[in-house]
Amino acid sequence: MSRRFLTSEDVRRAGSPEIVVEPGTLVTPQAQDEAERLGIAIRTQAGAWSEPRPDRGPDAQRAQATLPHLPEPPPDEEETPTGVVVTAVGRNRPGILAEITGLLQEVRGDVLSLSQRVTGQYFHLILLVNLPAEASFQDVKQALQCLGGEDDYVVRVMHERVFRFMHRV
Amino acid sequence: MPFQDHEILETLRMFELETLDIRTTTLGINLLDCADPDLESTAEKVYAKVVHHARDLVAVAGAITADLGVPIVNKRIAVTPIAWVAAASGARDLTPLARAMDAAAKAVGVDFIGGFSAYLYKGFTRADLALLESIPSALSSTDHVCASVALASTRAGINMDAVARFSEVVLETARRTADHGGLGCAKLVCFCNAVEDNPFVAGAHIGVGEGETVLNVGVSGPGVVRSALERLGPQADLLAVAETIKRTAFKVTRMGELVGREAARRLGTTFGIVDVSLAPTPAAGDSVSDILELIGAERTGAPGTTAALALLTDAVKKGGAMASSSVGGLSGAFIPVSEDSGMIAAVRDGALSLSKLEAMTSVCSVGLDMVAVPGDTPAHALTGIIADEMAIGMINSKTTAVRIIPVPGKGPGETVEWGGLLGTAIVQNVGAFGCARLHQRGGRIPAPMQGYKN
Repeated sequence: MSRRFLTSEDVRRAGSPEIVVEPGTLVTPQAQDEAERLGIAIRTQAGAWSEPRPDRGPDAQRAQATLPHLPEPPPDEEETPTGVVVTAVGRNRPGILAEITGLLQEVRGDVLSLSQRVTGQYFHLILLVNLPAEASFQDVKQALQCLGGEDDYVVRVMHERVFRFMHRV
Repeated sequence: MPFQDHEILETLRMFELETLDIRTTTLGINLLDCADPDLESTAEKVYAKVVHHARDLVAVAGAITADLGVPIVNKRIAVTPIAWVAAASGARDLTPLARAMDAAAKAVGVDFIGGFSAYLYKGFTRADLALLESIPSALSSTDHVCASVALASTRAGINMDAVARFSEVVLETARRTADHGGLGCAKLVCFCNAVEDNPFVAGAHIGVGEGETVLNVGVSGPGVVRSALERLGPQADLLAVAETIKRTAFKVTRMGELVGREAARRLGTTFGIVDVSLAPTPAAGDSVSDILELIGAERTGAPGTTAALALLTDAVKKGGAMASSSVGGLSGAFIPVSEDSGMIAAVRDGALSLSKLEAMTSVCSVGLDMVAVPGDTPAHALTGIIADEMAIGMINSKTTAVRIIPVPGKGPGETVEWGGLLGTAIVQNVGAFGCARLHQRGGRIPAPMQGYKN
């Protein structure tokens, strides 16, 4: 019998030492507690029951197949899908570019393009970086955003897809 | 460099300085299969199914923020109107289901779970009545649950019996949460033409045509629009203002589209909609009221406010429509009187009255939102306020709503502090006259000609 749920009331009414359910049946926490209390085993045809992976519904499978086909602004030739945009803004002083590219060298980032402008005391620096597949975006972002400081400069790291989505149709 | 420097800097400025963020990622979960003749079993199933589906929501949102750099402020859940889920049980008190929703929300770490709801616009089922009568108990004994009722629609008319009964429910909810300034009512809203895919609270629920699960997104960009208009300057004409807002709304909504697709993909569910509404917070600069004053009303509530709001709402919709594959939810401008620092100031300074707010709701999408009224407001006056709002929605084929909070022990002009996103409110004056006879008559205001489109 195919049921969506097994509740504690179902367990109490089972009247047998074993309840067999489908792998997709959701056994409520109260049912699990009640079964343990009464010494009843909950199992599927294949063995002990364990919580199934969520089945998001009949639409979901088809939606997952079509989602990649929703048009996105295409990347330019020089970009790759793992592109990361590193932006530094702050007070100009010697050594900033070295600090940033030094850290990028440590994580084996590949600088695809670079743009810099100094206006008076201030600068902004934008690098498009390709990270190697094994690099952790979070770790690299964390490390870069710790560079600089108050009265110095600030680094922000975002995935190039964010900019592509906002500024291209 | 595939992007111009100014494009990169513009995006970063929006996030860092102009409070651009994803206001909410809301997972919708259908609970119709939780129906059971025994209410406790229903509650068990509700808890189990919500936790089963929403367990990863907070982690996925965190991972998207970590991977893309886009902040996602709130993670929420919307469920099937609980009146339908409870119907098979025949129970009179549905508070156990609210408690199950609340426990599930706590277990998965979301801030709100919406859907303690019923559609009452044509009549009451037994379960609908049970839901309505359970609302004061449900909202005063839970933290995260939001309740909503649909009282009217363009196709069905206005169920004035339901409006009258709902007014009493609002007052009772306020009484039961008097210790917190009637805060229970901040989690309660009524609609005309309720939308089925609204990701924002208090009205979030999963309506009758939705699927098993769905991921909906709400963006937040008042600060970005405001900054764009400041840069445009006061000399530009209104067409330029509209165009600037539209282009800005496009960029803001693109973030919602990106996050919506990512969240749906990572959760393995359907990408539903992006609600493009401009949703303010009490934070400085994140105000819809400021935008209205930049467009040209001297203060929000002064002459010109309704026109400015019409321009704003329309421009946001146009920009948002191009930006997203699926626009839905409320998609307008929010004018919550307690959550927007400029709105609070306008009320305090006597610029914004209840009457003007009502006029403004005819051109934006939310209605009377977070309006504090005296705690001793009679039920019939609430009925009148709600019925007026329902009529605006019904005749204009738009969504309107009322989220009204009678604050126990407070009178017009007094302040109540709720804190956090709910902000500060100034109790408004509902006037000296009411509508006791309208309230007593009851019955139905029939569907208007606008509903006959065949």
